[in-house]
Amino acid sequence: MIQVRFHGRGGQGIKTASQILGSAAFNSGFQAQDFPLYGAERRGAPIVAFTRISPTPILERGPISNPNLLLIGDETLLNDSQVAPLCGADESTIVFVNSTKSTEQIQKQFPFPAAPLILDLTDRCQNFLGKGHILSTALATAGARILGNIDLKDLLEAVKMELGQSLKPETLQKNLELTQDIFHSLSPCTIPEKPIKALASSPLIELKQTPVHEAAPIILAPGNMALRKTGNWRMQRPKIDYDHCNKCLICYARCPEGTIKIDEDGRPQIDYEHCKGCMICAQECPGHFIQTIRESEGAHE
Amino acid sequence: MNKHSKMMLTGNKAAAWGVRLAQVDYVPAFPITPQTEIVETLAQWFSDGTLTGKYTNMDSEHSMFMAAGAAAATGVRVFTASSSQGILHGMEALYTIAGWRVPLVMVNVSRALATPITLEPDHNDVMSTRDCGMVQLHAETCQEVLDFILIGHRIAEHPQVALPVLVNMDGFYLSFTREPVVLPEPSEVARFLPPYKSEQPVFKASQPMARASAVFGGATYSYFKIQQDLAVRQAETVFHEVSEEFAQYFGRNYGPVENFMMDDAEFVFVMSNSFATKGKAAVLELRKQGIKAGLLKLRLIRPFPTQAIADSLLGHHKVAVIDQNLSPGMGGILFPEIVTSLYSRINRPEKFLSVIGGLGGKDILKEDFFSIVEHLRSDKSEGPLFLYNDDDLKQFKKVSHIALAEKGGSES
Ligand code: SF4
Ligand code: SF4
Repeated sequence: MIQVRFHGRGGQGIKTASQILGSAAFNSGFQAQDFPLYGAERRGAPIVAFTRISPTPILERGPISNPNLLLIGDETLLNDSQVAPLCGADESTIVFVNSTKSTEQIQKQFPFPAAPLILDLTDRCQNFLGKGHILSTALATAGARILGNIDLKDLLEAVKMELGQSLKPETLQKNLELTQDIFHSLSPCTIPEKPIKALASSPLIELKQTPVHEAAPIILAPGNMALRKTGNWRMQRPKIDYDHCNKCLICYARCPEGTIKIDEDGRPQIDYEHCKGCMICAQECPGHFIQTIRESEGAHE
Repeated sequence: MNKHSKMMLTGNKAAAWGVRLAQVDYVPAFPITPQTEIVETLAQWFSDGTLTGKYTNMDSEHSMFMAAGAAAATGVRVFTASSSQGILHGMEALYTIAGWRVPLVMVNVSRALATPITLEPDHNDVMSTRDCGMVQLHAETCQEVLDFILIGHRIAEHPQVALPVLVNMDGFYLSFTREPVVLPEPSEVARFLPPYKSEQPVFKASQPMARASAVFGGATYSYFKIQQDLAVRQAETVFHEVSEEFAQYFGRNYGPVENFMMDDAEFVFVMSNSFATKGKAAVLELRKQGIKAGLLKLRLIRPFPTQAIADSLLGHHKVAVIDQNLSPGMGGILFPEIVTSLYSRINRPEKFLSVIGGLGGKDILKEDFFSIVEHLRSDKSEGPLFLYNDDDLKQFKKVSHIALAEKGGSES
């Protein structure tokens, strides 16, 4: 059985990517299973999805902790210790990252167990679909091609099945062209067998009774939402052009998260730990002095 | 059989397809995660004409179950669905409509109950409906969800049963998981499950009738309750008949329980619902390591298939009942039911272990099954074994730290 784990953000089509890959495998005659995992969060929040592919019936369910293939749609997640997309990956795991960087560059930055495969999917999605952040087709195609056991025609059929009902024919056609483009830009990999580990017991513990303030779900920390760093939901980053900003503070008034503060000189300052990248400020700035930049690039400025 | 098409479907979509194939006449609905996809899909099919009956958005689950029961009392085929807090909110109505003795099918998508609130599954919600007087079928796969809805309508509408049938599936692990599902041919479903014609009196315009009379004096009350018990028990015989017929039509054969690698099993895990799949995988791995494990999966929960359970478990030495629910102060809810099924029989297993796991969607690991085997081997026989480890405690400590739970201690 091949186990594939997808990482991305709400709104990038990560669940759909896992379904396109699932359907493509199913069309190619495999047993398949796909499954997304998300909480009660919103667009931009980290999302994980899974696809299992096997020639025989699949006796597994739920999350995949030790994937054969890891598809990372959003490289900014690599910085996120909560999401920890590399968690459970070992030398036998093939890792693919959607990035503009070279393998050497990205390996210096993050502790990959082995050299990752890289392709800039966002750029291609921008070219083909006009939307760089919709990765469903692109990421599924990267997965199918790397696995090497899925026919292009079965993959194209899967794209039609999963997107055909919701997209206009022209947009679907562009997704199909994108599929072909990415399929031919990558090569199949040999997926190494996972070493078989003997099953051992998990040491269970017996919980002792604790006082009710600890035993009941009580929150005593006032205003601890500030600890919730929604900055990791961001796919796009607003950047204020201070050479032109006239301090009208419309952005400050309009930010729905209250993450724009006013500094001593009366200038707006964005708190990037909590800015969720909704880009309302950029739309509201009368002089268009707030730029929209790709998060993975903005993070290093 | 080859004209049946196969599709990748979530548990929720499989449920919606079951309703579509059953040609249900009426669906009262109220959304709740992780069930919403079922009623959304049905709403779409009713609005585009794929389904020709009536669909109504209700103001709450309480109204929804009352509407479902009332519609069923008019002699039409009814479906509804809910989950978790919704089931609890409608609880009064569930007892009420089951007492009306009206047939309908409802799906519960299992989700753990508050407090604390969560969206992930365990079985306390469905277990809370255990004593309402409904028939309950629990599904392991998306295919079972679809098939049980078809079988469920047949059981519900059987004149000797005339009760609501609840089909259960796990939230997330089944509701949002896609896997290949065989869609039965509509014309064959129409033969297996023809349009519903009630054999009991039904509400009709201008013909007054009452279904919910008040009774004073325990003798009358008891009479109706004992009748309800007999009808639920009768559902087991009906389940066998209907299942056999289903197998003739569609080739899938469902007993009230499923035996997996049971023949020579020394260690048996008793499970229900989607985590049974994980149990099966663990059984195969344990066997590779020379441990003779087996699994008994429960499909029919009400009526409780005592005989089938005894037939499966007698002669095996060690049995662990894995409950994904908790009755605080007692333990797992199914454990005593399994023990009761075997208590008075000779050759019963020498050791029973109550195991609690999978609460609030916590995964049950393959290693956990190994731990259960170790406990079955040891001579410890105290209270329930909780599948909880150091990593779990660490995760808790992290959030409790953010919540400053420790502070309450220092100030008190
Ligand atoms: S993008 Fe702008 S408006 Fe949106 S949260 Fe960030 S600062 Fe506020
Ligand atoms: S809205 Fe534009 S001009 Fe006004 S303060 Fe914000 S960035 Fe400056």
